[in-house]
Amino acid sequence: MTTEKASYIGFTCAYTPLALIDAAGYVPYRILPMGDAPDMAGQLLHDNLCPHVKRVLDRAMDNDLPELAGVVLLNSCDAMRRLADVWPKVRPKDRVILIDLPITSDDPAVSYFGRELSRLADTLFQWGERPVTQETVAASIDRYNQVALLFGSLRERLRNGGVSGGAARLQSLYNRAVTQPWDETFQFLEGVAEETNTPSVGQNGVPIFLFGNVLPDPEAFGLFESCGVRIVDEDLCTGSRVFAPIKMEKSEETLSQLARGILRRPRCARTLLTTQPGVLAAEVLARAAECKARGVIACSAKFCDPYIARIPGVRETLRKAGLPLLHIEGDCTMRSFGQQRTRIQAFTEMLRR
Amino acid sequence: MMKQLFDDMAADMEARLLDHYTARLRFTLENARLCQRLYSDTHRLAWCGVCAPFDLLNAMGISSCFVEYLGAVFAAAGSAGQFLEEAEHAGFPTDSCGWHRAVIGAAAKGMMPIPDVMIATSSPCTGGVAAVEHLARTFDCPLYVLAIPPDDSESSVRYLADQIRHMVDFVSAHTGEALDDDRLRYAMHKTNEAREAAIEMFHLAQRIPSPARAADLRNFGITLPLFLGTEAAVEIAQAYRDEFAARSGQGISGVQGERFRLMWLQEAIQFRHPLIKMLEENYQAAIVIEELDDIYWEPIDAEDPYIGLAQRTIAFPFNGQADRRLKHIKKLVQAYKIDGAINPCHWGCRQGTGARGLIGEALKELDVPVINLEVDCADARNFSEGQLRTRLEAFMEVLDSRPGRRSTN
Amino acid sequence: MYYLGVDLGSLSCDAVLLDHEGKIMAASVVPTGARNREAIARATQEVLEMARISEAEIKATISTGYGRDRVEGRLAAVTEITCHARGAHALLPGTQVLIDIGGQDSKAIRMDGGGRVLEFAMNDKCAAGTGRFLEAMARALQVDIGELCELDLGASKNLTLSSMCTVFAESEVVSLIADGVEVNEIVAGLNRAIASRIAALVKRIAPDVAGLKVAMSGGVAHNHGVVRALSSALNTEISVPQQPDTVGALGAALVARERMLP
Repeated sequence: MTTEKASYIGFTCAYTPLALIDAAGYVPYRILPMGDAPDMAGQLLHDNLCPHVKRVLDRAMDNDLPELAGVVLLNSCDAMRRLADVWPKVRPKDRVILIDLPITSDDPAVSYFGRELSRLADTLFQWGERPVTQETVAASIDRYNQVALLFGSLRERLRNGGVSGGAARLQSLYNRAVTQPWDETFQFLEGVAEETNTPSVGQNGVPIFLFGNVLPDPEAFGLFESCGVRIVDEDLCTGSRVFAPIKMEKSEETLSQLARGILRRPRCARTLLTTQPGVLAAEVLARAAECKARGVIACSAKFCDPYIARIPGVRETLRKAGLPLLHIEGDCTMRSFGQQRTRIQAFTEMLRR
Repeated sequence: MMKQLFDDMAADMEARLLDHYTARLRFTLENARLCQRLYSDTHRLAWCGVCAPFDLLNAMGISSCFVEYLGAVFAAAGSAGQFLEEAEHAGFPTDSCGWHRAVIGAAAKGMMPIPDVMIATSSPCTGGVAAVEHLARTFDCPLYVLAIPPDDSESSVRYLADQIRHMVDFVSAHTGEALDDDRLRYAMHKTNEAREAAIEMFHLAQRIPSPARAADLRNFGITLPLFLGTEAAVEIAQAYRDEFAARSGQGISGVQGERFRLMWLQEAIQFRHPLIKMLEENYQAAIVIEELDDIYWEPIDAEDPYIGLAQRTIAFPFNGQADRRLKHIKKLVQAYKIDGAINPCHWGCRQGTGARGLIGEALKELDVPVINLEVDCADARNFSEGQLRTRLEAFMEVLDSRPGRRSTN
Repeated sequence: MYYLGVDLGSLSCDAVLLDHEGKIMAASVVPTGARNREAIARATQEVLEMARISEAEIKATISTGYGRDRVEGRLAAVTEITCHARGAHALLPGTQVLIDIGGQDSKAIRMDGGGRVLEFAMNDKCAAGTGRFLEAMARALQVDIGELCELDLGASKNLTLSSMCTVFAESEVVSLIADGVEVNEIVAGLNRAIASRIAALVKRIAPDVAGLKVAMSGGVAHNHGVVRALSSALNTEISVPQQPDTVGALGAALVARERMLP
């Protein structure tokens, strides 16, 4: 595969079935909200809309994208759905498909999502390359689980202070992994795994659990470390969530397994558990306790309704458990992040006492 | 306190109706009665998302509404400000939709009656789901989710129909209220009767000049679903139909000397404001229709209603991709011979404001100008009357200067 | 007979007097200050004196601007959108897009060949890029507002500002000065930031602006640096009439004349 010219499929959401795209013979390419494209998306959408979606659209409007064989968008939230509506106006030659994403993960939702994945598989085949089979999907899921394992070990090493370049480097590895062919990703991750443990920056930092949605800029992690934060675990959709392992249950048909596995991975705030409304709060607390964090930082994109609505509940749950929360809302880039320096420093000073 | 407010309101409406029966009063009375039931402590309650099948819940004897409805009721009563403030103090930033913040704040202040069940609907918006989930947590209340597919393929319709069926079981299990076939059949017949009358009423509103004006139709389309399945909905729709027919027959237009026919998109500004009056008096501009004043669904088969209800829900103009909404807007523009559209880009509404550019483009294809108003429809504290007035006046000046402008004088 | 246009804005009150043929007889710009009525009276008095006519000879007055409802004796109040378009068309015939940046708001107006408004977009929720913003920046740089125009010359480092909020941009500028960044780089950065903001507003009503005839009005049009930056951001020439601040009042006077013509 590495000798052929890679055929990229653009995607934007961590719920995207990367293994399915891989099985269909494509390289999933995450359109990260980075780069210098001018701010133009507000003209087509609205200024007060998710900056993640706007930056992605800015890149599309500025043609700051590699050649794409197609784009797979997910109906994960209102902003993403509007992105799908507007995309054909900006890049009329692109082949685009919008896949519906359930907001729960019960059995009917899994079946429904399985049917959507089947539709995606058919569409990817129509776009060229090859048809997927149970075997090729299973093989791809396995490949991505291997990458997930490697990232898992890296996170473990980082927690114990052993990744050169620290959290910033880990983030840059995530960014590479979502924009490069699987083979290259696997190779460089194996290479990193073989590096001897080197103490990373910020070992004296206060242990923090970081969660939220979109924060792809490695510089942001460098900023955290320079403010005295040691990220001992992270749950971001530009980080560990996109490479969370997919649990496979052999009794089920492969696309159903994939559907179930994706829906039941660590959640974005938009996914509910009907039996436990507001479960995100309990999950954040559990993760923070597990990694022995002394505080929690939530990083979300401004105007993100799923996170806006759940953060107060998370804050309350953490407060009852004696864990302070710092919530940072930004435009997913360093532009807004730099202004947060003082708040982050004050937070760590408070935790050190 | 709220109960007293609604009791007084209902009593007042009843008295006024005896004196002079109008469709608007009848409609307002039904809203007051619904609010009475919601605050009565004696009814089974369901707080829902916008797209829940309220006629089914009515058939089960459950009083229900979409949570944004209560937010609007608070705003119309001039009391949303305190609830919005409460929500802000509880950590909900002002970036999100005011309807949701108003009910979250009211719940925090103990001013929302505790429901028996909550039914979230994935359409029209993400914020709505989040608000219902939050309230379910606040009230420790059983939560059901209706996942509404964006497309109307057979499998998607069946998927939603099954969910609606299970919703009935869920509500039954948590309220003790059953849905027997007779009540279901009755409700569906009433839904269809109301539908017929509403179609006639809207047809009359399309006349030039229109017998309708903003004060008649404000919120009608958006709240009619709450009364479907009951005789009240039929009465209200028929009252409007008869009134419009009478006015039309007597040559009375909603706005005297109608010069401009406008469409108001999405939802109305709920608190008192002078902008509509300004449009009517200074420009003889009639808001002849609101975007949801339309029957976009087929009659429901009373013998097998779940498929029909699923189709109706999927067909909701704000469901799924923007194409559906744009087609619907264009259809209304043509049916009502609209001169211009007003798009209140409701602060915090992502699904709505995100379509701003697409709506402008779609209306341009029909050569219909649209004015975007950046306004928080829920929050009177944030209302910049001067700025909005300037935009609307400039818009009317644009409409007035267009060549071949039709005059009804 | 004469026709008067009065534009009562947040920073200045402007008046333009036309004769029966539509020729400009006089124009005045006075600070609005805290007393609207006095500003209106002063502006009106000035043009009457310059033209040597009495108030009784004015056939009709049209008022515009945010304070348009406060002008007594007016024939009608017409919004500044319509008036600016009319005025720009008279001064620069063939203008297709008008960018007006005033004291505290900015507008982009798409016009047809006759000065009629086709579409418009406004930004009035935020002072970024407007006259007030530039006043605050001039203060932070400790220069006269009039000096700002040419201060960007020679800048080459493509400095970007991270904040467009007037309050935060002011403190950012102070910070940059303290860090020893040259004034011309800062001013160039400011101009670019304003231009990018205004360009986004313009493209909402004219995505094809690069091929259109564009003009600018309002007080900020005096600032050549901003005009240059905007021209670059939109990739098109921008014409500025001789008196960009009285375009609105001129348009109002023209409307007054039109309405009185048989």
